[in-house]
Amino acid sequence: MHIIVCIKSVIIKPEYSGSVRSSEFSELNPFDRQALEMAFLLKESLEKGTVTVISMGPKEISFAIYEAMAMGADRGVLVCDPSISGSDTLATSTILASAIKKLSPFDLVLFGTRTFDSDTGHVGPQTATLLDIPLITYAQKIKLSGGFANVERTMDGIKESFEVELPGAFTIHHMANIPRDIGLLGIKESFDEKLITVWNLNDLNLSQDSVGKRGSPTIVLSVKKVTKDRKCEFINGKPEEQVQKLIDKLIEKGLLV
Amino acid sequence: MDALLSEKNRAVRRSIKSFCEKEILPVAKDLDQEARFPWDIAEKMGKLGYFGIQVPKELGGAGLDTLSYVIIIEEISKACGGLGLCVTVHNSVSVYPILAFGNEVQKNKWIPPLARGERIGAFCLTEPNAGSDASGIEATAIKDGDFYILNANKVFVTNGGIADTCLIFARTNPEAGRKGISVIVAERGTPGFIVGDLEDLSGMRANPVSSIRLSDCRVPITNLLGKEGMGLTIGLTALDTGRIGIAAQALGISVAAFEEAVKYAKERRQFNVPIAKHQAIQMMIADMATEIEASRLLIYQAARLRDAGKPFSKEAAIAKLFASETSSKVCDMAIQIHGGYGYSKSYAVERYYRDARVTRIYEGTAEIHRMVIARSVLEG
Repeated sequence: MHIIVCIKSVIIKPEYSGSVRSSEFSELNPFDRQALEMAFLLKESLEKGTVTVISMGPKEISFAIYEAMAMGADRGVLVCDPSISGSDTLATSTILASAIKKLSPFDLVLFGTRTFDSDTGHVGPQTATLLDIPLITYAQKIKLSGGFANVERTMDGIKESFEVELPGAFTIHHMANIPRDIGLLGIKESFDEKLITVWNLNDLNLSQDSVGKRGSPTIVLSVKKVTKDRKCEFINGKPEEQVQKLIDKLIEKGLLV
Repeated sequence: MDALLSEKNRAVRRSIKSFCEKEILPVAKDLDQEARFPWDIAEKMGKLGYFGIQVPKELGGAGLDTLSYVIIIEEISKACGGLGLCVTVHNSVSVYPILAFGNEVQKNKWIPPLARGERIGAFCLTEPNAGSDASGIEATAIKDGDFYILNANKVFVTNGGIADTCLIFARTNPEAGRKGISVIVAERGTPGFIVGDLEDLSGMRANPVSSIRLSDCRVPITNLLGKEGMGLTIGLTALDTGRIGIAAQALGISVAAFEEAVKYAKERRQFNVPIAKHQAIQMMIADMATEIEASRLLIYQAARLRDAGKPFSKEAAIAKLFASETSSKVCDMAIQIHGGYGYSKSYAVERYYRDARVTRIYEGTAEIHRMVIARSVLEG
């Protein structure tokens, strides 16, 4: 059983975006932790298998892969190439799909449902499409038996069950499990004993036209921080009058109808 | 603050920090008020490797470096001083001496359960009449065939109420003075091993500090650590490492008090502005930040020297002295910034103040540290 988990190092201090991606300014995407936990639970339930984590970006983001390996992943792959900078979600999915193919054979590809920083939720579904494998999003439970996965998810109060032939891709709901704490021995083994394989575009047989800004149909024109001024208004009068004035104001602002 | 740390050390900090925020911080105040040791938390910490931080993997530990160790103690103590105390004393002056001076049989027997946190360690040196002058201990270990008969009255034993594996400093040769002191491991459950009442302390209340009395307690001679007469050497070696841990503990408490003070200074308004706008408050914040940073550099330096296999005794003493005195000052200023509220149990700074105070006393008083430092400067 080979389980691949795609992870991302997300920026937590936006003022430094674009320049510094080390752990001082970034962290392992919190939504990826449930995907990792799902991979470990599946591996433990089968008592065999390998969990590989993949990420892409500059070398500084290796810390996120080390963290995933400290949690329990067996090995890590980092796709690192100057030309992938500026990739949108399609270019990212193209790179990840190539890396996943290179890691064949595989049985499951897991993703978080979205990322904490760009928050698109595109990468899981797009990568599954490029790999031409079935996809279940927001999976909460996965059980494996004989080349199939039985998957459950609850959407809008409706519980859905699926049977999927493997290999398959799954985005894991953030309430699917409680990710494990990282133990100290895990950290030591991750940094001292486990390996991160680094691949560039040549290793993936990808052209520069399919990645980075050149391979990205999405063009972000600008990113600006929006600040909202808050205003505190006091309403006077007896309690009944205050309630009426508050209701009037809310209606006036279109917040109550 | 972590700009120069390796990603491995940063990963250690992230892990313990997230554990503390989730598990320890929510109950830290209750642990202090109820003087309760949190067994449930300790059990989880044991499984995560916090009771065998520097123990080699083969003996059930995490095999990390001293820098990781101080980062861990700093973070635990930031959340709860008493629990930080438990972990540092267990690792540095209980487990480490067995690792450094124990034979293979002893290491294989005692270390794995200690490293997993299944058994808790204690360092039993202090007696009613022997504190700073460790050579004044009166405990005796008299040989009787294959056994030592231990008689001792040990006081202020950190972890005393929960300890299973205790390093007892006792005289094996009452005529030999300083050279007649040895370390013998006594285990809870042995007849004559008596745990006294818990001390009702001002701070570090989550730690079950107690007396331990040994009354004609027979332990096998194979429980002797090192050789007879090596007691003070073992003790001082352990305390060198222990001091870095206590310094890290003081640092953690300082950081906690500092962060609370900065937060409060930004929120509390007087004269129509947050008090942080007043220069008098800013001066205190600047002094706190400066001394905390200096403490951290001294501690990390001592830890790095130890990791590099270089002498670190003087540096450990300097770090402990400076960080512990800084902690008292910082907590004092944090209370001052909080004003009347700082003197109330509604805010955490009064707990930090109580916890910080003892770091100037235990594992060598500030005065003994000055002696040690001066001696090493004048004779070195």
